[in-house]
Amino acid sequence: MSNTETKTEPSDSLITTDVETESNDRTAPSHRTAVAARDLNVYYGDEQAIDDVSIEIPEKRVTALIGPSGCGKSTFLRCINRMNDMIEVCRVEGDVEFGGKNVYDADVDPVALRRKIGMVFQKPNPFPKSIRDNVAYGLKIQGFDGDVDARVEESLKSAALWDEVKDQLDSSGLDLSGGQQQRLCIARAIAPDPEVILMDEPTSALDPVAASKIEDLIDDLAEEYTVIIVTHNMQQAARISDRTAVFLTGGRLVEYDDTTKIFEDPEEQRVEDYITGKFG
Amino acid sequence: MPRENYQERLDELREDVVAMGETVCDRLDDAVEAAVTGDEELARSVIETDHEVNETYLALEDECTELLALQQPVAGDLRLVAASFKIITDLERVADLATNVAAYGGPEGGVHDAVDVRDLGVGAREMVADAVDAYAARDPDACREIAARDDEFDERCRRASEAVVRELLEADRARNAARDGPAPTDGEALETSLDEVSQALLAVRDLERIADHAVNVAARTLYMIENDDELIY
Repeated sequence: MSNTETKTEPSDSLITTDVETESNDRTAPSHRTAVAARDLNVYYGDEQAIDDVSIEIPEKRVTALIGPSGCGKSTFLRCINRMNDMIEVCRVEGDVEFGGKNVYDADVDPVALRRKIGMVFQKPNPFPKSIRDNVAYGLKIQGFDGDVDARVEESLKSAALWDEVKDQLDSSGLDLSGGQQQRLCIARAIAPDPEVILMDEPTSALDPVAASKIEDLIDDLAEEYTVIIVTHNMQQAARISDRTAVFLTGGRLVEYDDTTKIFEDPEEQRVEDYITGKFG
Repeated sequence: MPRENYQERLDELREDVVAMGETVCDRLDDAVEAAVTGDEELARSVIETDHEVNETYLALEDECTELLALQQPVAGDLRLVAASFKIITDLERVADLATNVAAYGGPEGGVHDAVDVRDLGVGAREMVADAVDAYAARDPDACREIAARDDEFDERCRRASEAVVRELLEADRARNAARDGPAPTDGEALETSLDEVSQALLAVRDLERIADHAVNVAARTLYMIENDDELIY
């Protein structure tokens, strides 16, 4: 949290009342915990989607969540910035800690939370607006009164899209290619200066070249942001992540370790069987 | 089971590496026999069929590369492919060294008697065979035992080399005596003796290297089984 910063922005607080939070120097090469789940259980009606998951996700690293369809990895991702709040039958028990605060506490403002924990989805979903307005959208929502154009340029540069669109900022975001649209969505996600970026299969709708650009971008983003990515592509998880969490059927987190360890010598036979394709 | 074709290819790779190891052991048997008996025909057979081992090596190398490129193995599968990739190189080198050993027999059956080539040859061959068996059976204890055995084998080779060197010195003294002494000595016999001594030294060196390759196979096998690189150096 950056309560110590004095930018011309609204408060970064997640909550509607003032709460002390620790300062966070992004230049420090530490890997403190950015997000932690404690005894997390999630239900859709009577069906349990997440089963007693506890995990600590380091800051400024890429953490991949992998597992077969229906294992709960996307549900877990969406718990982190309370996207599951929008699902009426969804019930969450346990804690998801971010910035020393349980994001499910009653005094946490989900909109403020999502400014700090941005999200990129499977299919690129730019608004039917100009490239500039797509990126500036979140800034306007939060009442940003700084130099919007400068922040747009900075965000597009961080998303490795600036050089391709700098002369057409007023063109529609929908006119871009699929890969460019996804990078535009990433620029939109990082414009409000989040701390965490959640990505739910961000390359599954892209061709290999566009996907590889996103992968390179994720690697760069991890210098500034904590990236948590759900992917069905195990080779992608192996290529881009520092830590890998393996969810298996029933919403259980079966193994969580350095990615190298998971893909070279996992502890759990079930994980080995899954990643080598012996079941799935 | 999903990816059946992939699993079959991994099984076939394992079987083919074992088969290559068995072939190499057979060649080594023949090479030692040729070195001990001077059986030229057998020696020629070992040398002339070495290309078959080379072809097997290249085919398995291609298979490993293709599995890596197309199937992207991970975890235990990755270690199997990576270890096999290295092991076939060691086996191919053992076959090359076997051709050397076969050639040391010479037309007169000529490694010097000071070296018991059969004894050392059998020892080296057993280490290679045991390493291949450990790979086939995925036996980590056997891998460690083979590595431990290498020190003892090195010592046997050292003693054999010393014995040969003593013989070399003896031969040299005899040659000097022949040159300086009153009675003429059979110079041709002395040259033969020197040839046999040098052949023996080379044979010992090659057999020791074969044992080292066996240790390499065991080390890579242990990595394959347990992700343990303690024997890799």
